[in-house]
Amino acid sequence: MGGKVTCTLGEVKQRADFIVYWGGNPAECHPRHFTKYTLMQKSKFLPRGRKDRTVVLVDIRETKSAKAADHFLQVRPGKDFELLTIMRAMIKGQDVPEAQVAETGISIEVLRDLIEKMKKAKYGVMFFGMGLSMTRGKHMNAAALLTFAAEMNAFTKFVAMPMRGHGNVTGADVIMRWQTGYPFGISLNRGYPRYNPGEFSTVDVLVRGDTDCAFIIGADPGATMPKPAIDHLAKVPTIVLDPHVTHTSRLSRVHITTAPAGIAAPGTGYRMDEVPMPLKPALNSPYPSDEEVVRRIKEVIATKPDWMTNQPQMIESQV
Amino acid sequence: MELKVIENATCTFCGCVCDDIELHADDMRIHQAKKACILGKSWFLNHTAEKKYPDALIDGQPASLDDAIEVAANYLYDADMPLVYGMSNTTCEAQKECVAMADLLGALLDSHTSL
Ligand code: SF4
Repeated sequence: MGGKVTCTLGEVKQRADFIVYWGGNPAECHPRHFTKYTLMQKSKFLPRGRKDRTVVLVDIRETKSAKAADHFLQVRPGKDFELLTIMRAMIKGQDVPEAQVAETGISIEVLRDLIEKMKKAKYGVMFFGMGLSMTRGKHMNAAALLTFAAEMNAFTKFVAMPMRGHGNVTGADVIMRWQTGYPFGISLNRGYPRYNPGEFSTVDVLVRGDTDCAFIIGADPGATMPKPAIDHLAKVPTIVLDPHVTHTSRLSRVHITTAPAGIAAPGTGYRMDEVPMPLKPALNSPYPSDEEVVRRIKEVIATKPDWMTNQPQMIESQV
Repeated sequence: MELKVIENATCTFCGCVCDDIELHADDMRIHQAKKACILGKSWFLNHTAEKKYPDALIDGQPASLDDAIEVAANYLYDADMPLVYGMSNTTCEAQKECVAMADLLGALLDSHTSL
């Protein structure tokens, strides 16, 4: 998501007077997001805190987060992209047929009112969760929302930010971008990085059976992925690094127990706004850290002849 | 056992990565995680410094760390299309090692994001 219009959570806390949560349930998934960064904080620019902020929730069902919002828009499942596109047209004053608006589950009056409020805001922010980026349309939905946020800047300051979960996924994005130029879904099998989600993303690779050895760290695909993917993991040699013996460990050939990051292993973790935070482990683990184990495996591999010049099936001209 | 207090500890359970947690811990476990939410609390309190699992398992049997590292390296090296996946619940330092290893192997490299 290079080129996205975004900011840090510090700016949200200090300045954001219009906050949209789209397809996420922060009250239950990111419990301190409201209190620490968005809703409750008072600042120089928003001295009355919650009273100075307008909060909108867009989701397919009324979750606990809806109670904290001023406006709740219940979008029909799978209609996020349509709704975003309609709103993008409406901010520019283009005509949209009412029948099409009705299909999204939201009336045109509500949208008109919302857009007017958005344009009047001083600093708007749109947070989007998995309910947007993991349903029909997937990254096209996220792209539509990011474009919407960018286009709102013709009227007032607006930014967008994904609500990331799962520990340090943001760090994984940042590190891969730094080292390879791409955030995920990468193949290095030609000796240089190529990016193609859908082809190189893990679920697809596993379902197609396109890998013959899987190294899993800090994740438990054996509990979360579709069955054909899990079956393939069980078929090929799988190696797991985890503080616990997980579902994936049980179907793997090699499991190595490591110290839990942030609790017994030191290092760095990224917040969802890509601000790095030092971890402060409280315990000493009897197990080594992930970092140490991966480095040692890497060092053993490095003692072997280079694969690229030694693979018999390599085409001469590619070497 | 000595009780330690760690101020401004960081919780990495969710993307908020709250860095204002006060942890009370002894050698074995964390007893209190002040300011953390329910998710963060249970995450901090559920991990201990106990040796609950063997160092490593090879084909389901307890094994030494050194053996497991050797076997893992061989599997990865011998594969034609190895895959390095996950990297969520781990540190950036470990993620960097993963990328370097994938580069060395000519592997597929991917995280949770692609789901
Ligand atoms: S304390 Fe709660 S909100 Fe903060 S990072 Fe941990 S789980 Fe997330």
